[in-house]
Amino acid sequence: MYKVVVSFLGRDCPGIVHAVSSLMNELDCNIDEVSQTILHSEFAAIVIADVPDALQIDTLHAKLEAGLEQRKVDLNVTARLFDGSGWGDTIATEPYVVTVDGPDRPGLIAGVTGVFSRHNVNIENLKALMPGGKDDGNALIVYEVAVPLTKDIADLRAELREEADKLAVRVSMQHRDIFEAVHRVQPV
Amino acid sequence: MLTDREVLSTLAMLRNEHLDVRTVTLGVSLFDCASDNFDTFADKVRAKIGKYAEKLVATCDEVGDKYGIPVVNKRISVSPMGVVCASFTSDQMVKACKVLDDAAKAAGVNFLGGFGALVEKGMTRGDRALIDSLPEALAVTDCVCSSINVASSRSGINMDAVALMGETIKSIANRTADRGGLGCAKLVVFANIPQDVPFMAGAYLGVGEPEVVINVGVSGPGVVKKAIDRAMERNPNRTLSDIAEVIKRTAFKVTRVGEIIGTEVAARLGLPFGVADLSLAPTPEVGDSVGEIFQSMGLSSIGAPGSTAVLAMLNDAVKKGGAFASSHVGGLSGAFIPVSEDSSIAAAAACGALTLEKLEAMTSVCSVGLDMVAIPGDTSAATISAIIADEMAIGMINSKTTAVRIIPVPGKGVGELVSFGGLLGEARIMPVPGGNAENFIRLGGRIPAPIHSLKN
Repeated sequence: MYKVVVSFLGRDCPGIVHAVSSLMNELDCNIDEVSQTILHSEFAAIVIADVPDALQIDTLHAKLEAGLEQRKVDLNVTARLFDGSGWGDTIATEPYVVTVDGPDRPGLIAGVTGVFSRHNVNIENLKALMPGGKDDGNALIVYEVAVPLTKDIADLRAELREEADKLAVRVSMQHRDIFEAVHRVQPV
Repeated sequence: MLTDREVLSTLAMLRNEHLDVRTVTLGVSLFDCASDNFDTFADKVRAKIGKYAEKLVATCDEVGDKYGIPVVNKRISVSPMGVVCASFTSDQMVKACKVLDDAAKAAGVNFLGGFGALVEKGMTRGDRALIDSLPEALAVTDCVCSSINVASSRSGINMDAVALMGETIKSIANRTADRGGLGCAKLVVFANIPQDVPFMAGAYLGVGEPEVVINVGVSGPGVVKKAIDRAMERNPNRTLSDIAEVIKRTAFKVTRVGEIIGTEVAARLGLPFGVADLSLAPTPEVGDSVGEIFQSMGLSSIGAPGSTAVLAMLNDAVKKGGAFASSHVGGLSGAFIPVSEDSSIAAAAACGALTLEKLEAMTSVCSVGLDMVAIPGDTSAATISAIIADEMAIGMINSKTTAVRIIPVPGKGVGELVSFGGLLGEARIMPVPGGNAENFIRLGGRIPAPIHSLKN
């Protein structure tokens, strides 16, 4: 067996995960881990699976696409080899939460994420909201990021503030622990 | 993943509701610095405070930065100097106070508490020397605060000390007349003083406390007020049961902030974490007021009938929420009602909506007492002593802490404004109830401990 990572993207409806998982089961693949998310009408999933050596990755891909079409499930499929190591496995990081809020405008995400990119900061979760409703015009973007331990937080903060000023929005950066400490009673 | 509500709520608390860690207070025991040689004592004190306080301010700022929540004040509390300096004369006590003042400034903290004494049953020579030194000591120093414990539920009320403190407060006021009697704002007279309070002016490090410790004082009256306002808006049929729950949960959140920051500062400094004092401590800034909470709860202002009930509920809900949030809760832990330090309370006092009599009633259910109250400069020492005696009685009988921090402003009368500056705020002078207590105070002696002190 060897490991693959397959991603699925398309229209959301009940039955997709059943279609995918039963297909993979027919192909003698074993699903190790799944992460899925829904945004409005769209569905996205990342699946890590064990695939029999006899099944080539291109064949797997073709069979998945054909099988889904047959089941009338409208999804794009991509398949790749999975080597098991992620960015976060090799480097020690601390979790921070960066929030950007203010009048919505083009370039908000590109600008702020540019700073992350320059500082080797990885975004682990990202959510963009309009907390006052669509007519309010104010955006709130929450980035849960992993900051390398070697990073000078003051530097990063200063650059984020500079970028926020350019974009006429407010930015704040806090260690993730404070959000959990304040709002959650942790299991013992 | 964090939920939207968690993120939005935390941001709102920080940005609009004045959530902060009000103080991180480093407690340093100075008992081992005691000496009958002044210079030996001074050297030891400077060295010890210097050693432990060296990284305090910087560490608090780093941790505050990490979590995006400011540590507004860094302070130091020390052992009661009446004990440490028991062999000193009054003049030496003044010099000792200067040593502490210099050490505080060198450490970069804004206040140092502990230049005080515990005299609930009697006074030692050292205690007396310290009390006698107060007018001069508090006039020539900036950062040092004093607390004198004159009563306890176990020992009763030391009325000789109460009489002496009335006189002393007048002297301190006169000695600092050029600054509106500011010296009195750095002195608190207590019943049942807790020995781990991180807030000033009552902070000191008691007997039985460790060598060095980090205590944290949280705050957040603005957060509580906004939470109540939101709850009322969302559901106009809210009852007091619901509001109590809102206050409790908000107190939990506010205290968690103090706990996480306090424990991390302690860990980084390699020192033990003592307690989180979960008091709602206001500042003169708009939106950071305890007084405004009374209005959110439906009273026209603090001081109106119903104020004692509101405060009782508030104080209790804060304790319940905060107690769950912290590993060790201590200090005063409740709601403060300092007149000059809270713009809404000061306003209520200025227009007569809040009287000294009502304040006294409220001290029976809140966590401190008559705090930052400005009274006419010509109030007699006996009257001041009698006011103190009343507060001490409330504390002694109800087994709670009560205190008096009262300023007779020299040369000013009812309605006139006195401004102390900074966190101490400003207030109009309040009228004192009429009547004469001279002969009562002259009796002296001790009011015996109440029957419930016989707990064995």
